[in-house]
Amino acid sequence: MKIAISYPPIVNQDGQKAMVSQNRNVQFFKEPTYLLPVIHGQAATWLRDIGYDVLWDDGNSQLKTFDDWYLNLITEAPDIIIFESTTPVMKFYWAVANKLKTDLPHCIIIMTGYHSMRKPEETLRESSVDIVLRSNHVDFVLQKLIPFIDENNNWRNNCLIEGLVFRRDENNFLDTGNFKQIEPLDLAPDVDRDLVQWKNYAYENGNFLQTPGVYATSVVRDCMFGKCSFCRYNGPDLTFSMRSVQKSLDEYQRLIEDYGAREIFDDSGVWYRGAEAREFAQGIIDRGLHKKDCYFGFNTRFGYLDEDTISLLAKANFRFILVGLEAADEETLNRLNKGYGPEDSEHNLKLYTKYGLFPHLTIMVGYYWQNRDQLEKTIATVKRFMFEGIARTLQVTLCTPIDFTPYHQECLDKKVLLTDNYDDFDMSKLIVKTPLPHNNYYDAIRKMYSIAFHPKFIFKQLQFLARFKKKDWQFLFTYGIRAIRRVRQHIFNLTKHQK
Amino acid sequence: MLHKVLAIRNLSTSAYTLRLERNGLLFKAGQCFNLGLKNSGVNREYSIYSGENDSYLEFLIKEIKGGAVSPFIRQSLVGEEINLYGPYGSFIIDPKTVNSAQFTFICSGTGIAPFHSFIRSYPNLKYHLINGIRFLSERYDYDKLDITKITTCVSREKWNGFNGRITSYFCKTIINTEKTFYLCGNQKMIQEVYDLLQKNKVSGNKILAEAFF
Repeated sequence: MKIAISYPPIVNQDGQKAMVSQNRNVQFFKEPTYLLPVIHGQAATWLRDIGYDVLWDDGNSQLKTFDDWYLNLITEAPDIIIFESTTPVMKFYWAVANKLKTDLPHCIIIMTGYHSMRKPEETLRESSVDIVLRSNHVDFVLQKLIPFIDENNNWRNNCLIEGLVFRRDENNFLDTGNFKQIEPLDLAPDVDRDLVQWKNYAYENGNFLQTPGVYATSVVRDCMFGKCSFCRYNGPDLTFSMRSVQKSLDEYQRLIEDYGAREIFDDSGVWYRGAEAREFAQGIIDRGLHKKDCYFGFNTRFGYLDEDTISLLAKANFRFILVGLEAADEETLNRLNKGYGPEDSEHNLKLYTKYGLFPHLTIMVGYYWQNRDQLEKTIATVKRFMFEGIARTLQVTLCTPIDFTPYHQECLDKKVLLTDNYDDFDMSKLIVKTPLPHNNYYDAIRKMYSIAFHPKFIFKQLQFLARFKKKDWQFLFTYGIRAIRRVRQHIFNLTKHQK
Repeated sequence: MLHKVLAIRNLSTSAYTLRLERNGLLFKAGQCFNLGLKNSGVNREYSIYSGENDSYLEFLIKEIKGGAVSPFIRQSLVGEEINLYGPYGSFIIDPKTVNSAQFTFICSGTGIAPFHSFIRSYPNLKYHLINGIRFLSERYDYDKLDITKITTCVSREKWNGFNGRITSYFCKTIINTEKTFYLCGNQKMIQEVYDLLQKNKVSGNKILAEAFF
């Protein structure tokens, strides 16, 4: 049986490609960032390990045009195609599934992703998709489901594997119930780097200071906090699963020694904290991996890392710490259920930078309640953090309700959504009613990205050079040039709807 | 938000309760909060232990040796302020089913906290609590609970009740698949109990889990 795990290239009318971006939502960019879909990579590896012929078919990272990608897929004629979609590209995927069903009528199409898992019947109604996974543990479900389909011609009538909704006939769908929320992640294999053609993801990534860079197999699936209202890792059906420290350390060692990785990022919703974080950092040091010219990075939350842990992480050559600031006013943080106050962010950033880590802030603007004071406070705080050097890089996005998160549901309940066309959810424009004209939020984005060109910011980067750390020099001369290229693009993308 | 400490009760060498001023804060039984020392910049999530109608907020906390929060909160004095954010989360009981559904609450260690909150909040709740602990000293606040509705599984100390882990208990018990199952505690327990429930044909729609880190 041949299984394709497929990501079609999606190009918009501006010639931009759909890329996975903040919060694993889709944004369109001209300058590419190719992110490895880690869980699907594990699924591919697992299916290959149990004997299936797996086609890793990422049209984006493989630089295919849509037509090339489509023709190749038809030629390969897989028995099963697995897609991953989110709100802004749902309609595109439905159309592709319908077209594929015409050309490959016997092929079974499986849809995964956080939008369809929350509204599975919609995808079955709107397209020819056969099965929707309600589970985000795509690898665990597929390693049960694919053999079942393989061995049971009559699977539509007797499959009871949990976490699925599938088509029995045109209008008869069967829901097998909620999925198992916690899986023993140590049972899932590490991503086979050769199978997923790892080099395709190793260079075009704005967050890598050195290349080749790789995304590690995530240590935490979903988020151990899991309460932020805008985030897709939130809901009664989700909690979190965690991988063992030693298994991850083994993978890091292989990535460095066998593949020559020079930057490893773990894109878990939130990485280890406390005892596990310290054990991991100590493990890196004990194995000598901190002396192999490889930087490490992860996502975290303010409030999760104490000073002892941060100090140990720095010794272990951790560098890039991606952390969601979101906003700088207390009301917004409370409404978003962030779980900490504005003063905590500054406290934490000072600790990160005290030990030489490079905090990267993610910020959003355009919440449906965000007033002028709140917006100005966020801009002023971000500027101050960047000028003082307690944050090194940033990323600003328009807060877009996605994938039936609590924030999305809140926007629906309060009738503040300005569109119900899923195509509009691509984070390129504001789609909620706001207290201020939308132009104010676009201006805010421009102001925050323009910090990169401000003399105070540049002066601070020059000051860092006096520490004579390699990463500061790299930051200014390598990453700086790359960042400027991307900053221009971000400003274009996020303000193109400004009137 | 700062809330003053009203009391700290030491329940065992590894667990204590923290009672805080409520200050009119509303929450749903079973939700969680983030707690941290004032100006520390570090916090951790804890499920609520008290009921919706109690005049205070109370948390059941396991002290983690070398931890960044729990050992320090234990040393707090009455009147000191604790940073508290929340409530959050959807590990709650649907109000429509509170008086009609039958619940099985399954927990390990301090995972009993949200169930204690349910029981205090909803006096007519029809439930069976299965509590997995290592030692008898971990039967926290049993004098305030209806022990006829509790099965205690003790894994590291012999006693007259059930000896062994929760999973052993389930292997020897007939499971009523019509009940709604809530699981709270460490991940391994949740994984294993989930598998047992599914083997016994309990629908995933009737299982809710909240993992503790």
